Amino acid sequence: MIKINKEFILSKESRFSTFKTQLKRSFIITKKDLRIYYNKPPVLIQGIFFPIILFFAFTIGRSISPIYLISGIIAMVLFLTSTSLGPIIFPWETIRGTFERLTTCPVSIKTILIGSIWSSFIYGLLFSSIPLVLGVIFLSSGLAINYFLIIAGMILSSLVFSSFSLIISSPPIRNPGNTMILQIFIKFPLLFISPLFMPINSIATAVISPITYCLDVLNIGLGEVSAFGSFGLLIDILVLIGLGFGFLFLAFAIHQKTLEKRFR
Amino acid sequence: MSVIAINNLAKYFSLPKKGKGGKPGPMNGKMGPMGIIRAVDNISFEVKKGEIFGFLGPNGAGKTTTIRMMTGVLRPTKGNVSIFGHDVWKNQILVKQITGNVPEEANVYFDLTGLQNLMFIGEIYGVPKKTRLNRAESLLKKFELYEKRNLKSMRYSKGMKQRLLLCMALMSNPKILFLDEPTSGLDVQSARIIKQLIREYNEKGVTIFLTTHDMEVANELCHRIAIINHGKIISLDTPQNLKALTQEYKAIDFYFTNGADKAKIKDLSSVREVQEVSGGFHLIVEDIHEGICEIVDFIKQNHLIIKQLNTHQPKLEDAFLKIIERGDKN
Repeated sequence: MIKINKEFILSKESRFSTFKTQLKRSFIITKKDLRIYYNKPPVLIQGIFFPIILFFAFTIGRSISPIYLISGIIAMVLFLTSTSLGPIIFPWETIRGTFERLTTCPVSIKTILIGSIWSSFIYGLLFSSIPLVLGVIFLSSGLAINYFLIIAGMILSSLVFSSFSLIISSPPIRNPGNTMILQIFIKFPLLFISPLFMPINSIATAVISPITYCLDVLNIGLGEVSAFGSFGLLIDILVLIGLGFGFLFLAFAIHQKTLEKRFR
Repeated sequence: MSVIAINNLAKYFSLPKKGKGGKPGPMNGKMGPMGIIRAVDNISFEVKKGEIFGFLGPNGAGKTTTIRMMTGVLRPTKGNVSIFGHDVWKNQILVKQITGNVPEEANVYFDLTGLQNLMFIGEIYGVPKKTRLNRAESLLKKFELYEKRNLKSMRYSKGMKQRLLLCMALMSNPKILFLDEPTSGLDVQSARIIKQLIREYNEKGVTIFLTTHDMEVANELCHRIAIINHGKIISLDTPQNLKALTQEYKAIDFYFTNGADKAKIKDLSSVREVQEVSGGFHLIVEDIHEGICEIVDFIKQNHLIIKQLNTHQPKLEDAFLKIIERGDKN
């Protein structure tokens, strides 16, 4: 056993101080992700036009209730935009060699993942506000809208979907294109089992989809009664918080396990 | 005084199932009995404070896996790495804070400019904004990148990217620098700048752990060199002592204006082998000093006029090949 003379003792920070430092560094990673991956003309154009096209595609010539229309489009845009780029960034950075550079910096894998959540969250929230604005302009007459609840629901749901995107990004894939297959097999089935543009109780499998709870909060915010009874809003919030933390901790565990494989 | 201690460090990778992915991973390590690859197999050594420590080995010998465990990227299967007495895996953040790294397969962010790359890394390390900017500009000047600081790094040449990576590693004023193949595939100018600055930072007290395939770089820069093959350390010594292992490469070349008798030269006591070359001879000798003395006497006795005389000291490359060959035989 080789013994070392300690030239100086490195001071260990307290847990709270470490948490604060790592949280701050997660924002730095977010800033980097936003600048490199999100702030690109094609991404921004898609982010703006995708909700607009969806809005008019589902509005014109269809006799869907304005409540389900607004909540459906917002939820769909929130889910698709919050989970769109996160899964691509990891394989992209792995193949370019920047991921290894980042892991040698004084940040934990959890910090890197949380940084990724913030950027997906901002992107999802920003572009899902487009159908909200369009809905308010074109479809809100006669609706008693609770803006606070809608925005709170969008924030919470965007965080949950961003955490969910971390699970899709966990396989140590080196080719960003391969994540598209995963996305198709995970994201689209979730959309199909969710009660988009219809009453929540009309699909039996709806309860297993996180999108359902987002829809219910939005429906309540637009003046509809909760599908889960008088404590429906509380159930929605608790389920969303539970799912958010569940996805997050699952993502932490899987990423920790698959991290080494990214470097082989 | 040691700053890095490697104790019985090992990293085993399990073999992928047959038919999936072809080769069983990138490591050329030993196959273990349980379907594992012993990429690094119980190695121990220490790196002293202020040293440039070279880590050499053929492709797939375990160099990058070792450096990844030393920098907290990979978790050791067995053993540990300690830096300033702190276990690297258990205190990753703490240790990473005082080390700088240039990983072999790492790259800069192509969509950021040179300056933005440095500012990002500085911010991640918690360097205050003003210091960050001053340090980034000073490093860019030192590494001859200042003129291109606002150019997106996707437009940098390979040498410029490598210099930028080294700048990024230096942004936090590290106490220890890990450099994995820093001069690999670079143009002469970039390689020279990097070598000069490695030397300069080492003189300032930075301990440097360097893996390289470039024997000239290792010979020029390193105070000590460890050679790894098949995941095991097979030699660890100073470049001079390693080179001393290849006695047979001591040679003298001499050229005359008039002819000399090859048989007579072969009779000289210190000469082991004579090869006739255009206008002269290439001699393999037991000892350079004795060989030169004998040749000078021979020249005087035979009234020869010497045009040129060169000596060849053993090269690190020869020593490296010999050590690897000997290790393979064993």
